[in-house]
Amino acid sequence: MIRVENMTHHYGDKISLNEISFSIAEGEKVVLLGCNGSGKSTLLKILDGLITPRAGQVFYQGQPITSLHLKQGAMRRIFRKEVALLFQNPDVMLFNPTVYDEIAFGPRQLGWSNIDERVSHWADLLGLSAYLERPPFTLSGGEKQKLALAALLAVEPRLLLLDEPAAALDPRSTGWLVDFLAGLRVTLLTTTHNLSLAPELGARALVLGEDHRLIYDGPIKNFLGHLDLLVAANLAHTHRHHHGEFEHRHWHTHDWQ
Amino acid sequence: MSERIKLLAYLVAIIIASWTTSPAWLTGGLLATLLLCGRDAMRMVRRAIVTTIAFSGIVSAAYAGYRWLAFDTLPLDWLVTVNLRVLLMAMLTFLVIARVNLFQALSVSRRFSFLLVLAVSQSIGLKRVLDEFRMGLHSRSIRPASLRDRYRAVAHAAGWLVDKSLGHAHESAQALKSRGLFK
Repeated sequence: MIRVENMTHHYGDKISLNEISFSIAEGEKVVLLGCNGSGKSTLLKILDGLITPRAGQVFYQGQPITSLHLKQGAMRRIFRKEVALLFQNPDVMLFNPTVYDEIAFGPRQLGWSNIDERVSHWADLLGLSAYLERPPFTLSGGEKQKLALAALLAVEPRLLLLDEPAAALDPRSTGWLVDFLAGLRVTLLTTTHNLSLAPELGARALVLGEDHRLIYDGPIKNFLGHLDLLVAANLAHTHRHHHGEFEHRHWHTHDWQ
Repeated sequence: MSERIKLLAYLVAIIIASWTTSPAWLTGGLLATLLLCGRDAMRMVRRAIVTTIAFSGIVSAAYAGYRWLAFDTLPLDWLVTVNLRVLLMAMLTFLVIARVNLFQALSVSRRFSFLLVLAVSQSIGLKRVLDEFRMGLHSRSIRPASLRDRYRAVAHAAGWLVDKSLGHAHESAQALKSRGLFK
């Protein structure tokens, strides 16, 4: 469904992604892991056609994703309908006057009928029915996240790119989100640096190292048991701690095993 | 030439430009600035025009309309002078941003340096946020975004930024206060 070939991206002189190659098949649920600043968000924006890489290519359903291709009306319509990105900060994608209009925004662009039914379906599913007449900016952080998700799902995408979807959620909402995503029948690529959550979001992991290269692509269970890789990705930590009177220091793996 | 002298020359040039009323001298200043810009000249002219066109256009149209309705004349000299002056000042400012290391130029005062660091970090942060808002609209636009959607997105971004800026300004002031400034 998505294929990335030798892709490199820079912000000015600073490299943010270094010769990345991978592919994702339809229906897969993949987790993109990496420490802060490793390039996870940049990679999602490139996959969504919002940023152009300096080198390499990205293909969606065999078609190259470039700004030139996305200027073609038909390609743009198909790509923007089928590929949806949930930004880490949902505020940047919520600009309609009410929650109702926000969910209806995509279906209206597609000229679909039964807008009311579609809006109430997704609002019910995401627990937003009571807020339909409210402006999105009056919602809490967790509610905004749910609204952004509802607005994306309302166009029935085939590939959902989620950028740290649980970062702003409380533990109860995080549990709800994990269950909700598990029930979705779409291809999912979710970024996180939360290792305890990662195995619940997908069976396969792509891991970005501190050098902005892809250092692992495989089953997530294997990655989580591989301390050298965890350290290379800056996803393991060491600090001193106490066991009663005894103080010692070692790598911590108990967060995810 | 030291960075401090370049900054001083810029300030003097801005003051002179704001006093000069002769279109010929302003045009001369503009040409001199273009020469100083070198091969970046056209890019800087474009940036200066894009930056000032809304302000200059509204002020020019409003004053020209008033003069036309009240006196039945168009103030052509005034329009040329004001627009040349605004363009010259914008060009000088872009030139100084591109060519002068402001951190070195303002290192004479600890307080100026702090303020510059704050201003630069705020503007970098704002640029990143604005890029995110632009991409947010772009990502959700299955068809090219309509003018109404663009206005809504811009209004939403502006409101969000005002809220955040107030919060950041308050926090920055507290941070500076806690480090011994503005007692």
